[in-house]
Amino acid sequence: MTDLAALSARSLAKAIRDKKVSSVEATEAAIGRLKACHGLTNCVMSLEEEEALAAARATDAAIAKGSAMGPLAGVPLAHKDMYDRQGKIASWGAKLRSHRPATADSTAIARLKSAGALQIAALHLAEFAYGPTGHNYVLGHARNPWDPTRITGGSSAGTACAVAYGAIPAGLGSDTGGSLRLPAAACGVTSIKPTWGRVSRAGAMPLAPALDTVGVIARHVEDLALTLGILAGPDPRDPAATSVPVPDYVARLDDPVKGLKLGVDEAVIGEADPRVQKMVEEVAGILVKLGLTRTSCRFPDWQTLDHLVQLVQLPDASAAHTTFLRTRAGEYGPQVRARAEVGHFISSVDHLTALRARGSYLERTLRDTFKDADIAILPILADPLPTLAELDVSGGPQVQAAMGRVVKFTRPINYLGLPTLALPIPRGGGLPNGIQLVGRPYAEATLFAVGQAYQRVVPPEIARPLEG
Amino acid sequence: MASPKDEQSQPDGGDAAAYLDMPPERRAAAKAHAAMLSKTAHRIALELPFGADVDDFRRVLIEGAKP
Repeated sequence: MTDLAALSARSLAKAIRDKKVSSVEATEAAIGRLKACHGLTNCVMSLEEEEALAAARATDAAIAKGSAMGPLAGVPLAHKDMYDRQGKIASWGAKLRSHRPATADSTAIARLKSAGALQIAALHLAEFAYGPTGHNYVLGHARNPWDPTRITGGSSAGTACAVAYGAIPAGLGSDTGGSLRLPAAACGVTSIKPTWGRVSRAGAMPLAPALDTVGVIARHVEDLALTLGILAGPDPRDPAATSVPVPDYVARLDDPVKGLKLGVDEAVIGEADPRVQKMVEEVAGILVKLGLTRTSCRFPDWQTLDHLVQLVQLPDASAAHTTFLRTRAGEYGPQVRARAEVGHFISSVDHLTALRARGSYLERTLRDTFKDADIAILPILADPLPTLAELDVSGGPQVQAAMGRVVKFTRPINYLGLPTLALPIPRGGGLPNGIQLVGRPYAEATLFAVGQAYQRVVPPEIARPLEG
Repeated sequence: MASPKDEQSQPDGGDAAAYLDMPPERRAAAKAHAAMLSKTAHRIALELPFGADVDDFRRVLIEGAKP
């Protein structure tokens, strides 16, 4: 009997199409695993068992009739609970939210539905997706499936937990400062933060629209390729969604990687904990063995980038929250409240300076950092996987510094808008962690080809609590 | 006439974001963080060409897609 939990979405879709397994069987199995995962990790916001099984029965009936189906027909997925779905209210991970059901599906959800995917649950996220660790002070913290005392990373915590546990093969997250990459690293799975504007944000809860990026978490890189191909492209509902042509990412998974240049910025990587530096070196070594050529590269001053992204993000997020902050502040959790307040102290001139400088910093990065490099490798977390207790700073005075350390290697990339693939390190029996590969704008296909080659050497794993 | 609490933020003044209900220590921490970031903004502003525009980012991003 095939282990459905270990299949990629692409393989599961084929098995359903070929009638080797029904969508109902796949969905029942996924729901069972998701319940177990939730018991361990608190990953579910709402389970939609009956609705998903009805959709699975309809899919099986359509397949039996030979009706044309999409590339994800009958595949059970689940997503971060911040995407509009017609007739439903997304939790946004918050108590404060709209109490009016959405009148239309978000574009990302609509495109996955058109591809035939089912949705079995809405998954955990940090309050308003504004937290990088998986802590949620109003609806409960998420716990890591490898070690429930550890952080899951955030804000797309539930998706990463469910994917790592084998409950679902893939699911939507989002990334404003690291929210796809941090949980992927902490839970030992992959993610794609596409180029800013590659995927429509229409109907996704805004955090800081100048930085918000819709993306996917999966165990298999091939599923990132498959789902991004479904999600990407222009959308009249989101003027930032560009019409840059979308390649056939799946067809390009086996593009040769030999000779690609892997940029290593030792100065930036050197700011991570030495144990994390070692992890980056280990992955870089594997990539070199796969045929990539190592070269030095230099990002613009990292601290400047980190300040610039905050000058964009903090007021952008504060603007979105200003009404709630002025009228219902007591209903926020302490951490999000403290973070959302800070943007009110940044002048509009400083905010606009950071936005006006963004083009020249990207230009400089493409001209210098990527002059001799096709991709660049960076850590994701600055430290080995922390415990929930270590980062339980709530809204205290150390919140900016503590959260700043967590997103140190991720949020500057959001300022540059570049695509980033998260890959898990070889665990060797220990706790998970991850690295990120950063590409030129719209070079997701190159990242996927490297990730696919890497997973032939470091195959995807299913998370279960480690002994001892 | 609007009361000071209704007025918009005055980031460099003593009453920045007076409309927010914040304890003094959190207000001080927020101000200090914004001041630290502001130093970077001032430095970057000196380097920026006069014609730098917020839309430059999208243009460079799309141009960067070219092989």
